[in-house]
Amino acid sequence: MIELKNISKLYENNVIALQEIDLQFKEGELIILKGVSGSGKSTILSLISGILKPTEGEVIVDGKKISKLVDHFSANYRRKNIGFIFQRYNLIPDLTVEENILLPLIPENLSKKQLQNYLESALSSLGIRDKRESRVKNLSGGEQQRVAIARANVNNPKIILADEPTANLDAKLSLEFIEIIREMKKENRTIIIATHDPLFFDLEFSDRVVEIEDGRVVLCS
Amino acid sequence: MVILPSLLMNLMKRWFDLLSRKINFYLLEYALKYILRDKYKNFFIFTIMTLLVTLLASTLLLSNLLKLEYNKFIDTYPDIIVMQQKAGKDVTVNEKIVDDLLNINGVSMAVGRIYGEYKFEKAESIFHLVGIDEFEESQNKFIEGLKKQNSLDKDSMLVSKDVATLLKKNYYENYFNFIKSDGTFKKVFIAKSFPTKDSLQNSQLILMPKETLREIFGFQVEEVSDIALKVTNKEEIAFIATKIESEFINAKVIVQEDIRHFYEHIYNYRSGFFLVIFIISFFTFFIIIYDKMSGLNSTQKKEIGVLKALGWRVEDVLNARLYEGIIISISAYFFGIFLAYIYVFTLKAPLLKEIFLNNYNLIYDYKMEFYIDYNVLAILFFLSVPIYIIATIVPSWRVATLDADEVMR
Repeated sequence: MIELKNISKLYENNVIALQEIDLQFKEGELIILKGVSGSGKSTILSLISGILKPTEGEVIVDGKKISKLVDHFSANYRRKNIGFIFQRYNLIPDLTVEENILLPLIPENLSKKQLQNYLESALSSLGIRDKRESRVKNLSGGEQQRVAIARANVNNPKIILADEPTANLDAKLSLEFIEIIREMKKENRTIIIATHDPLFFDLEFSDRVVEIEDGRVVLCS
Repeated sequence: MVILPSLLMNLMKRWFDLLSRKINFYLLEYALKYILRDKYKNFFIFTIMTLLVTLLASTLLLSNLLKLEYNKFIDTYPDIIVMQQKAGKDVTVNEKIVDDLLNINGVSMAVGRIYGEYKFEKAESIFHLVGIDEFEESQNKFIEGLKKQNSLDKDSMLVSKDVATLLKKNYYENYFNFIKSDGTFKKVFIAKSFPTKDSLQNSQLILMPKETLREIFGFQVEEVSDIALKVTNKEEIAFIATKIESEFINAKVIVQEDIRHFYEHIYNYRSGFFLVIFIISFFTFFIIIYDKMSGLNSTQKKEIGVLKALGWRVEDVLNARLYEGIIISISAYFFGIFLAYIYVFTLKAPLLKEIFLNNYNLIYDYKMEFYIDYNVLAILFFLSVPIYIIATIVPSWRVATLDADEVMR
């Protein structure tokens, strides 16, 4: 269960990103955060992941006050619970597919066998197994997107956060992404997608669409 | 007794296990790949650091080696040397004043010495000729030892192995023809050659009877180069030197300390040349450090933001940078030291040695004995490795302590 209680976020340059937001997401839900650029969708994802701290209010995940965690524990929480798919993938172009996918697990200092198991599991059904030794910079946009999904999935997170995941994809690849999300939902993960892509608004398998405008929730269907 | 080694083995095994668990090899691998991603820049830094360490280590090793040699050489000098001057110019001394000098309280020995440099034009080298007398004691222990082991006939000489080799190369196997001051030749036979135990000064040494040398230099009877004094109480050396200067008109008095200062002066003058090179090298090194300290580029900053968003702690980011700094600086340090040792002890420091030893002819094969100078190693380590590591970590620390969101934006 993810709870955002009376959340406000003011950036250092006095830009108001969120105002008095109250939201609850249940385990296994697929939520679409809808809104134009700058409406505050990405800020909500950053708050849930613990990357950002709210100016006011609390973020509670499974009873833990995430917004109160110090940097060290917030990183641990993120590594164990969150899978992040960024808008521009944020992959490291000079590293290989395998190396990029395993990045979140490096601080864990696991055994080679454990790492291989995680990697195999993340690569399964994404169709990039034959590219694992390739450098990311040599991949197509769609392949890079899959690497980003595999990286978000490698630590078996309970929560998947996706920020404008189809912004750089064509229609065909966007549909492929939706299919991947459908498969992920079957694994009972909480998935929150921040997007303004209409493709997501009428998904039959999404649980809710939350519309954000000027930092406020204007619709929660 | 059997238990102890197995206990030790067990302890070592546990220590290695603990160490390997402490070191995150994946982080190390990541750091290595980070270096390779910017391979040209990092290779340039590695090269500059290696060159800097090599240059500094070579110079310090060589200069310390020579300092040691100078000190050994100066220790063989008499407590006081009395010379004669006329119109400010050094001239020979009349040996008659030995008795007057011995009458000064505190002087335990006074001996007239004949010595000087002889230039062997053909080989462009200089010999150090010393006259010996079996009834006189020399304060130079090396010469005294040679005197005791060998008795010399008139017109014969003892030469160092290096001098013997040089003469042989120039077809003088059994004798050498010295050109006297009047232009005629003096044939002196080589009685024996002696090893010099890698001593720089003794490698040019030729010993012969005083009267033979007097003939070569064209000295009159009772004429000597100078008079060497031995003082019983070393604390009185300065006082006795002043007394001689006041009592003997035109006397030039030199104490051992003056000679030490003279050599140190020459040595420091040559070191100054290298100081310029050091400054240039350090300047280059500090430009690199400044460049690193001045911050990361936007791609590097973004990468730290992404890593933090993926769950890396600040310490993970800093550890990766620490490994990166260690890999570059430690490898440059050890490679630089290795090159310096090869340069000084295997290649015998070409160019550098010529600058430091230009008053010694370099046809002599001065064999530098291998030694590990821990002071030099420590100085260079602390001048290079920690500075570079700090310069690598600090900018990343500045970025890593910011919010990942802020960094990525």
